[in-house]
Amino acid sequence: MIQQKIPGKPVTVTINGKKYRANEGEILLSVAIREKIEIPHLCFEASLDPYGACRLCMVEVVRKGKREMATSCTLRAADGLEVLTDTPEIEKHRSILFELYLAEAPKSDVIRDMAAHYGVTRTRFLKRIEQGDPLGNKCVLCGLCVRACSEIMGAGAINFINRGPYTVVNTPYYAPSRDCFGCGACVRVCPTNAIEMEDVGADRVMKSWSDTRVPLSQCECCGRYYAPRELSASVLARLDTPLKEEIARLCPECRGKQLAQNEILAGRGGRATHG
Amino acid sequence: MDERTLDAIIARHDAPAGRLLGILGEIQNQEGYVPRETLELLSEKLGVRLSQLYGLATFYSYFTLRPVGDHVITVCMGTACHVKGAVAILEALEGLLGIKSDVTDDGKLSVTTIDRKFTVEIARCFGACSMAPVLRIDGNLYGYATPEDLPVILGEYGWTP
Repeated sequence: MIQQKIPGKPVTVTINGKKYRANEGEILLSVAIREKIEIPHLCFEASLDPYGACRLCMVEVVRKGKREMATSCTLRAADGLEVLTDTPEIEKHRSILFELYLAEAPKSDVIRDMAAHYGVTRTRFLKRIEQGDPLGNKCVLCGLCVRACSEIMGAGAINFINRGPYTVVNTPYYAPSRDCFGCGACVRVCPTNAIEMEDVGADRVMKSWSDTRVPLSQCECCGRYYAPRELSASVLARLDTPLKEEIARLCPECRGKQLAQNEILAGRGGRATHG
Repeated sequence: MDERTLDAIIARHDAPAGRLLGILGEIQNQEGYVPRETLELLSEKLGVRLSQLYGLATFYSYFTLRPVGDHVITVCMGTACHVKGAVAILEALEGLLGIKSDVTDDGKLSVTTIDRKFTVEIARCFGACSMAPVLRIDGNLYGYATPEDLPVILGEYGWTP
């Protein structure tokens, strides 16, 4: 189960000495985000189970006068939970992590800006720069794209390859994937904008995934290519017929125009096809 | 690997736990490597994504994705062997076999001679440190190895200068 459908009973959690309301079992990082309390994070994605991979969202939990570190994305709200987000211990831990990330993904602007925000502008570690890296030396191997591809989309086109310092994410054999829908979920969840995708003519090209090409559907009205053909076909299979026919032909913009036009016509006593 | 052999391997592994690794292991044992066509066929037969199988095959050092030679030479590069001169052994092997070993992009070191007679690999430790430096050819262990011993050892496997 990805998220609790029924919210737990209301509880009070203490973050940096201030009390906040939360639901029991809620992810602490979500509470912090909602309350605009700054906790850096890379691998947290609300639509996926928390994973605790990036270690950036570390906080200190105060329990019976003792403190221990925990990732706030895997920490669940409970009554009386008390955490601190900016202790010297956390700051030290974060700085080292940022240095490691600067070495792991030296070309990532996101990492650079985030690190600079926390006062880390250089790294003592050897920067990992590879010529022709399909992910542009921006990948931090958080695994969000791999999980979105298989757990959310059910495509499983990409995965981790190799291990240890040689680990990368890509398609099997670095060959264009037959399992890829071209949905772009990987692009959207990537916290460091490492994955490149581009629509070229009638195809969507997943540049980072070995130039996997996915054909797009064309709008009958304006001629624009707007959605991966196979993906729209599988979505359409689940819709009602009148809606299906329209969506199958038109891009969202043209469909919007047509809807508005029909509404105006209906207002003037014209014909309307939408209820 | 033909389809019938693969079907027989799959049939032997019906328990869900450790199934994929068991099948991949048998493919590796029979073929000496995991051929791409076999992996693709396996993916179709089991309904498991190719990306998952490829991830496994590249993760474990037990599997190789490239064909190997008739004889596989594994040079131990563990700490004890390294100290006792494993690098010299590897260099001597390269000289004798006319190959240049280099770490490939998957982090594995595996080079095969052009005539496909020998493949040279490295291992991190055999657990035979008392006989360091050690090398293994087709499962036979050779301890206290020196570069001078190599022509004789390789000769047992049909190597000629």
